[in-house]
This record gives sequence, C-alpha cells and structure tokens, in this order.
Amino acid sequence: MTLLDINFLDHAMYTTSKGPVTPGDLIKFVIILSFSVIFFRVLSIYLRRILKDRVSKDVGETILKVVHYGALVLIFISILPLIGLDPSGLLLAGGVAGIVIGFASQNIVGNLVSGCFLMFERPIKIGDQVEVNGIAGYVTDIRIISTLIRTYDGLLVRIPNQQVFTTNITNIVGHPVRRFEYTIRIRYSDDASAAIWLIRDLIDQEPFALLSPSPSVFVNELGESSVNITVRIWAPVSEWFGIKTRLLWNIKKTLEENGIEIPYPQRVLHIKSEPEKKQQVIEELNQNKLEETEPVLNFEERVLN
Amino acid sequence: MYGYYDPPFSVEEEGISISVERTGDKWTYRRISGTDSVEKLILGDRKRIIINPVEPLNTPKEITPNLLIEFEKTLLLAGGEKKQIFLTFPVEIGVFISDHGNKNPQLIDVLSLVRQKFTLYGEVSNGVVCKHWKSGLHSVSPSLNPLQEGIMELTLRNTSSDWASISKAVFSAYGMKLYYDGDVFMKARMDILNRNTAETGFEIQPINGEVGYLVKDQKIRKEAFGVYGLRKLGFVPLKFYMGWGF
Repeated sequence: MTLLDINFLDHAMYTTSKGPVTPGDLIKFVIILSFSVIFFRVLSIYLRRILKDRVSKDVGETILKVVHYGALVLIFISILPLIGLDPSGLLLAGGVAGIVIGFASQNIVGNLVSGCFLMFERPIKIGDQVEVNGIAGYVTDIRIISTLIRTYDGLLVRIPNQQVFTTNITNIVGHPVRRFEYTIRIRYSDDASAAIWLIRDLIDQEPFALLSPSPSVFVNELGESSVNITVRIWAPVSEWFGIKTRLLWNIKKTLEENGIEIPYPQRVLHIKSEPEKKQQVIEELNQNKLEETEPVLNFEERVLN
Repeated sequence: MYGYYDPPFSVEEEGISISVERTGDKWTYRRISGTDSVEKLILGDRKRIIINPVEPLNTPKEITPNLLIEFEKTLLLAGGEKKQIFLTFPVEIGVFISDHGNKNPQLIDVLSLVRQKFTLYGEVSNGVVCKHWKSGLHSVSPSLNPLQEGIMELTLRNTSSDWASISKAVFSAYGMKLYYDGDVFMKARMDILNRNTAETGFEIQPINGEVGYLVKDQKIRKEAFGVYGLRKLGFVPLKFYMGWGF
C-alpha cells in the first residue's frame, strides 16, 4: 500500500456518535451551504422583481427576508449531520451556547432582536419619512442588525436597531394626512374679514387642501403691530410640503393685489409741532421763574413791611 | 372626441386640441388644453390612438384610487329596501396608444376639465384619502357634458332592518368599468350592511353578456379602456368597505 492508495476524502478527521467525519463530508457541507446561499440570493432577486408591482416595498422586503433567512437556517440545520452534529443536540447545547453567545455578543444579539421586533411590530416601514434620535430622512432599509436612513440632504446614516427600537421615533408619514399652519399678519387698517375670505378662496382652489378635516382661517391675535390671522390646512402626507410652500406665496401675492399688506414691526410716536413746543417751553420757564422769585418777593415784602 | 383614430389626425373640442402628425420618420403626439400642453414622440408605425373616458383619479396627481361622492341631499332608505338612483361623477379623458387589434393599450396622456378636490374618509389616524365629488340625486338619467361628467346608476340595497341615512359613497377605482357612447356611464351598487358600514362595488358583467359592450335604455355603449384596469392586480380588492359611516 502506497501513499497514493489512501483516499484523502475518505480519511476520518474525527469521530462522533454518528460515525466518522471525513474531509469529503466537510466539503459536501461547505458546497451545499454555499450553493444554498447563492441559490437563495438569486431567488431573492427574482422574487423582488415579481413582488415589486404586487405589494408595497416594505411588505415585499419583509417577505423576502423571512424567506431568505428562514430557508438558510433550515438548510443549515438539516445538513449539520454531515459534519457529525445532531440538530436535536443543538436544542440542549443551544441553551448553554445561547447564554455564552448572549454574553459575548450582547449588542449584536440586542440589535438582532430589536430588528426582528422592528420588522414585525413595524413602527416604521421602508420608504417612511422618520426622525430617529435627531436624524430625519427616508428609511431605505430595515436590516437584521441596523436600519438605514437617507437624510434629506442625501447622506446615508446607519442606526443600530437597538437604538431605533429604544428611542422615540417620529414617523412623519405615519398617518394618511397631516396639518400645517401659517400666521398671516395684516395691518390694523385692513379688513380682516376680506383677508379671511381671500385666503379661504385660495385654499378652495388648491386640490390637495382637504375638504375634510376642514381648513380653518381665523383672527387669532391682536398683535403689537398687526392683526394676526391663523391658517390651518390639512393635506395628504405625500403632498403637504408642496402645498405649504406654494400656498404661502399665493396668499402673500393675493392679499397685496387686493390692497391688504403685511406690516413691518412698528411703534407709533406722537411728535408735537414746533410752535406748540416753543409755547410749552416758555410756559415751563415762566413757571420755574415764578417759583424762584417767589421767596425773594416775600423777603422784600417783609422788609418793606 | 371619444373614439379610435388612425394617425395622422387632429381633433378639437371644448378647448382641447389633440393631434398626431408625422415629423420625419417619427410621429408627434400633441395635446393643448388651456395653458397646459403636452408633446410626445411616437416611434413605430401602424399604431392607433384611442381617446376614451377613464377613472377620475389620475389628475392632478395619482395619490389615491378612491372616489368619494357626496350627495347634495341626504337620502333615507328604509330597512330591507332596494332602490336605484342616478348620480354624476367626474370624468377624465385618457389617451391610449395601441396596435391595430387594440392590443396592449398604453396610456400616453390624461387630462381633466373639472374641478379637482380631495378629502379624507374616516379618521385622521387610519382614514383613506379620496378624490371628492359632489353630486345631485336624480331619478332619471341626467343629460351631461361627456367630457366633464358621467352618469352613475347606483343600486342602493339596505340589508339591515333599520332606516339608513346616506350622504356619501366611496368607490375603488380598481373595480370601475366605464362605458361610453355620447355619454359616459357606470353601473355601481351600494349594500348597506348595518347602521355604520356599507360595501360598494361595480357591475363588471355587461347586461347583454357580450364582452366590451353594455346595452342600457336601448343604447349600446362601448367599454372604455381604464387606467386601473390595465394594471396587473396583486392583492387589490375591487370592492370598497365603508367602515366609517355613509
């Protein structure tokens, strides 16, 4: 028997209760696992295309992740006997291993668990506009460990899921509609009723300013320099910012076209005319003179007397 | 204006001008309505242009597939009763391009001549944004401008034992079937389920059983290509469940 007669692939590397494990078994394990990873990645791409037009992006991505990772875990468990590991033994070993791994990778596991909760509780969805921990933007992906947010100025921010799950999340598009508000200041000399009528008419012409909940336009405050009109409008969440910017300028133009102006901050000063001022000064001087000479006169009077 | 056109052609009505002209080896689609104008290039010969009414949910921007029709007067319907009324609905004009066998129609333009307004049906937290339209109630089919308004024959059925007070109805565009010929027509139903809920839907089976046509009042109407009907539907319900009252 020569060295060449030894089949390397059949040579037992180690022995388990299930029998010896050869390099061939190990290679099979790696090949099946690699093939499965590639297969499910290709399947994910194919499924993503199919689901694209049928379900919303966030639902589609959740389905894909559950299918992808679920199938990989199942395959991994089912091929464990190839390397001499009994999957049922994992249940027992899993308890002990879980504690060890849990302590060793507390943050990762925390993020993983938070990621699962984010996917199933769904306080945010892919495509939502959110503010998490002072970071505002669009949710581009919710991964198992982290959430990706594209800020309004185009930066990509990765936030660990644990942080997302444990901090306050403001979902800007969580409801189908939202309200925005303006304060329009007009002069005291302008007709506030006419201004309200003009603003209401502009809101009525704007398609995305909702009829219900109805908009409200009212005099809210009599300010130092102006009469303050509050305008509150409800709009679909996808359109509110466009209307807000468009309508404000239209209100300004329409009010000005109708002679209603937005005043600058002002303070009324009452300035008296020059002759009046002179007369007042003379009167004050005479009064002072009288007060000064009165004791002297009294003295002279006393001497003469 | 509604119909099938083989390029080159030009049609003008109510301030809307639509034309397809040959420019070199290409075709140019041109539409002018008021201050709004659209121009597109068409590559390919032997194409047909179809102009027909479409679901009123595409302009000024497609943000919802739901149409809320508010009644001018509240309607009272006794328990167990079934009545038929006529409503009006807004019409949008869709321009499609297709092969000569009218296969694979593709929407190239859509416009509207009526006032556009949106509203919320339901609660702020979980309601539904809808296109809004206010309609009078008619006992006979009214005469309308087909470029602006259509006729909806609505069958109201009160399946509960209580009186129902009805002031609005919400419809999903995914179930809409429009028919046209001189007028624009749609046949819908509204089933009152209880005091607060109802279900609306459309009659999608033509009355005479012939696909693509609807005979009503001795009039044969042609089925319109719809924008929503052309889409491959996933899990979209064709009915609308009105859970926030009517």
